[in-house]
Amino acid sequence: MALFVVFQTTFFLTLLSLRTYQSEVLAERLPLTPVSLKVSTNSIHQSLHLQWTVHNLPYHQELKMVFQIQISRIETSNVVWVGNYSTTVKWNQVLHWSWESELPLECATHFVRIKSVMDDASFPEPNFWSNWSSWEEVSVQYSLGRDILFVFPKDKLVEEGSNVTICYVSRNIQNNVSCYLEGKQIHGEQLDPHVTAFNLNSVPFIRNRGTNIYCEASQGNVSKGIEGIVLFVSKVLEEPKDFSCETQDFKTLHCTWDPGTDTALGWSKQPSQSYTLFESFSGEKKLCTHKNWCNWQITQDSQEMYNFTLIAENYLRKRSVNILFNLTHRVYLMNPFSVNFENVNATNAIMTWKVHSMRNNFTYLCQIELHGEGKMMQYDVSIKVNGEYFLSELEPATEYMARVRCADASNFWKWSEWSGQNFTTLEAAPSEAPDVWRSVNSEPGNHTVTLFWKPLSKLHANGKILFYNVVVENLDKPSRSELRSIPAPANSTKLILDRCSYQICVTANNSVGASPASIIVISADPENKEVEEERIAGTDGGFSLSWKPQPGDVIGYVVDWCDHPQDVLQWKNVGPNTTSTVISTDAFRPGVRYDFRIYGLSTKRIACLLEKKTGYSQELAPSDNPHVLVDMLTSHSFTLSWKDYSTESQPGFIQGYHVYLKSKARQCHPRFQKAILSDGSECCKYKIDNPEEKALIVDNLKPESSYEFFVTPFTSAGEGPNATFTKVTTPDEHSSMLIHILLPMVFCVLLIMIVCYLKSQWIKETCYPDIPDPYKSSILSLIKFKENPHLTIMNVSDCIPDAIEVVSKPEGTKIQILGTRKSLTETELTKPNYLYLLPTEKNHSGPGPCICFENFTYNQAASDSGFCGHVPVSPKAPPSMLGLMTSPENVLKALEKNYMNSLGEVPAGETSLNYVSQLASPMSGDKDSLPTNPVEPPHCSEYKMQIAVPLRLALPRPTENSSLSSITLLDPGEHYR
Amino acid sequence: MSCPLAHLCLLTLLLPLLSSAASISPAESISQAYSLALYMQKNTSMLLQTYLQYQGSPFSDPGFSAPELQLSSLPPATAFFKTWRTLDDGERLSLAQGAFLALTQHLQLVRDDQSDLNPGSPILLAQLGTARLRAQGLLGNMATIMTALGLPMLPEEDTLGLVAFGASAFERKCRGYVVTREYGHWTDRAVRDLALLKAKYPA
Repeated sequence: MALFVVFQTTFFLTLLSLRTYQSEVLAERLPLTPVSLKVSTNSIHQSLHLQWTVHNLPYHQELKMVFQIQISRIETSNVVWVGNYSTTVKWNQVLHWSWESELPLECATHFVRIKSVMDDASFPEPNFWSNWSSWEEVSVQYSLGRDILFVFPKDKLVEEGSNVTICYVSRNIQNNVSCYLEGKQIHGEQLDPHVTAFNLNSVPFIRNRGTNIYCEASQGNVSKGIEGIVLFVSKVLEEPKDFSCETQDFKTLHCTWDPGTDTALGWSKQPSQSYTLFESFSGEKKLCTHKNWCNWQITQDSQEMYNFTLIAENYLRKRSVNILFNLTHRVYLMNPFSVNFENVNATNAIMTWKVHSMRNNFTYLCQIELHGEGKMMQYDVSIKVNGEYFLSELEPATEYMARVRCADASNFWKWSEWSGQNFTTLEAAPSEAPDVWRSVNSEPGNHTVTLFWKPLSKLHANGKILFYNVVVENLDKPSRSELRSIPAPANSTKLILDRCSYQICVTANNSVGASPASIIVISADPENKEVEEERIAGTDGGFSLSWKPQPGDVIGYVVDWCDHPQDVLQWKNVGPNTTSTVISTDAFRPGVRYDFRIYGLSTKRIACLLEKKTGYSQELAPSDNPHVLVDMLTSHSFTLSWKDYSTESQPGFIQGYHVYLKSKARQCHPRFQKAILSDGSECCKYKIDNPEEKALIVDNLKPESSYEFFVTPFTSAGEGPNATFTKVTTPDEHSSMLIHILLPMVFCVLLIMIVCYLKSQWIKETCYPDIPDPYKSSILSLIKFKENPHLTIMNVSDCIPDAIEVVSKPEGTKIQILGTRKSLTETELTKPNYLYLLPTEKNHSGPGPCICFENFTYNQAASDSGFCGHVPVSPKAPPSMLGLMTSPENVLKALEKNYMNSLGEVPAGETSLNYVSQLASPMSGDKDSLPTNPVEPPHCSEYKMQIAVPLRLALPRPTENSSLSSITLLDPGEHYR
Repeated sequence: MSCPLAHLCLLTLLLPLLSSAASISPAESISQAYSLALYMQKNTSMLLQTYLQYQGSPFSDPGFSAPELQLSSLPPATAFFKTWRTLDDGERLSLAQGAFLALTQHLQLVRDDQSDLNPGSPILLAQLGTARLRAQGLLGNMATIMTALGLPMLPEEDTLGLVAFGASAFERKCRGYVVTREYGHWTDRAVRDLALLKAKYPA
């Protein structure tokens, strides 16, 4: 024990003496100059690393000191940085300090010196700076290789937007060095003949593989070398957003955040930023393996409060966010399970579900969503573990989707995920009567009633409609009702009813039951009420209809119409107090005429037609033009008509017609107005305002002029389509006059000809009567009575027309038939005392129709001989003579010749003088013996020319008898002189 | 290059590696090596272009060429014609074999560099891998020829031992450029070498 006391005292005294000694030394040696300054370089970080010591420090004593450091570049006078560094210094301690250079250290020599000052409270005396240490030179250029060009800094990592200085060292100042950043040349500041530095301000992020910066040394155009660096520019690290933590089971905290931009760079220069969770209450830390979430294990049941810091970090920057919370306020429940539906009927169901149990006596708030029929209902319910909710007022036969989610009721944080299930309610009987309408076709003896109904909406059908029941009941006489079932998709049926009143009930039926009935009554009277049709104008939205209310009670009105082009009957029910409605549907088409019928429904449910309306939702211009006929074309007018044009089936109400007329005349005709056509040409226009006036007389025209016309109807929407003009040319005036004269003339001639034909007998009798038959003549009886009975009348058939025989006969009258010349020659030997005069003009064998008279006056000798007889007639005449007998002259010549011949052969003594007078026998009236050659003169009915005989022959005087007889036989009317 | 036929062709050309070399005549082995060299020749320029395309400016600039860039660890393919022509078969084959030995290792180095720099460029990495495989195939063919001709085999050495690992990114890009370029040049030279041999040892 005593030894211990002695030792303790000795130690104390020693320490005290040492302290005293130190104070003395410090007082003597101050100031304390930094010594042993060593400067090293770190090329990667471009930093100078300084280390030094302070001599003469008291042993085992810590003193607070301030060091001032100066850094010069290239030369000592060029100070680039001055700064103070405060620290506590211990005896024999080596001090370290680093300085990062903007300029790469390889590009310039740096000089560093340092001085110090005591800054310790234990030394209250005034302090002063020590002397500067000597300049310490730092140069790394000597360590470079033998290449001709170097570029620094190598592979530097910087943040986007920071400033960077790069430099190159060129060994040969003869080389021309150009530097480029991503292909664009950059210009720098020459630090010395070998070194040039480039200040790049606010470098951009280009790609995570780095930005190439390279310099090219060249002499002239010859490249001497290429050298470069890759500058790795990192995106700025962002602060994590939306950082939050929550638990589902009080065992794990699940923390999530939005990491923002990934700052990873290529070539492993910088990996993606790391995330670390730090909890300050427990002091625990966890490095997160995922970039946007992290799980934290809850180890202590007692810990309720948590203070989390999320630290994001990369090589360049560190960022953090902090949250403080109570664990029970961050409960995110797992979604409910076992969702079921019980006791599902047409309108109700019970929904049940379960919740994952968290802790005892936990109350959950649950939310139920019911989706169905396009609607959504939401209900909130508070439960313990098993949830149950009664869903009511559901629609029958409807599929619903119900889902539920829950949350902690006491400290609401967030809803769980949804858990849902579908269910379908059962069917119920249809709730509404079908909308029924009818069309009635009255025929003799019965009505054909077509019933139409609209399918019930899903809301009212309450299930799938299977069929429709139609019950027909006769109201006039008691009979059994007729029931018809029509399968569901049908929406109409046809009934044929006799002329009685009928009540028709229609119900829609599904698997559960029937709907209320829709009742319609068909009256016994047909719908023969004549109702005038009224025109209405449609609008874009449809047709606005209004009508006069029906006298008496009505239970409503019905408007029906047909949809075109489907021709489906449509109808609309209107309440009893309404007398107007708007029919609007997308089915209305422009240019289609719609006929609306408005019915009033009586209390007996009998429909009565009230009004008819017709109109277009939009009138269009006519689609075609009428076919125009041109009538009554004269030189001054013509008529255009288009009677066949129907005004009904048009895409608009025809209001009238436009008649366009083109002519060469500049002026329009009266009633016409000037108009300009779409092609710019001028014409005249006439407007007809009456659609039923389908003709126009165009007058005041010029003869022999050309006109062109074009007729087009118009509606309120415009005219019909453009079409070509039709050309009409008026005839000239004279030709019409000619027609006026010629036509009556031709008519008259025709009339005359017809009359002539009809009255031919009369004309004949009047103009050229038949020659009277002598046998029938009255004079014959007279002659017979007075004269001798020998007297006969010359028979025509006995007459030889070819010759006249002149016979000298003192008494009476003899008929001599002259033969032909041939006959004459044959009778030559008989020596008759006849004068043969006429050759026959015909060679017919029969006797010619000639009457011969003997003239005794001229043939004295012959008469003396007292011989007169018939001369046989040769049937054949010499052909040579026939042709000459066509004219009297020829006859004369022939006669002359024959006579001469005859005379030559007759002895001169016997026939001294012959003079023959000839008379032609009348031939007319004897049609059978008419000469076949009309040119030939009626040889027998003319006087034969007297032929002069030689003068030496004695000319005897004619006797009175002979001349008398020859005169008597002649009809005065038939004689020619 | 990716067509199945090409792969089949490559397989048949690489077959000598697997089978016994002794059973193949010099002419046959020379012919096979020649065919492989010709096939390689068609794809070397594509490899170079793909490589440059991924390195950024100035490498990806049109018409980029830096003949002054060389690698001390990789022998240049260019040679004076007379020198080359007067080499005997053994020397010529040995030079080519040495070059392709260095190339196979350099191609692996470049592929490693690029998988670090351009991890999202599978086309370039695949092409580098394929080129290395072919270089190895040609090496095998050459070994077969040398065995068939009774020439002494070149001892394998680690040419990459001379390569600096601490090269900067830009230096690695340059290195890759030199390797892919020299791969093309050496393939061209190998075609000429083997054509010469083929003429000497007709089938």
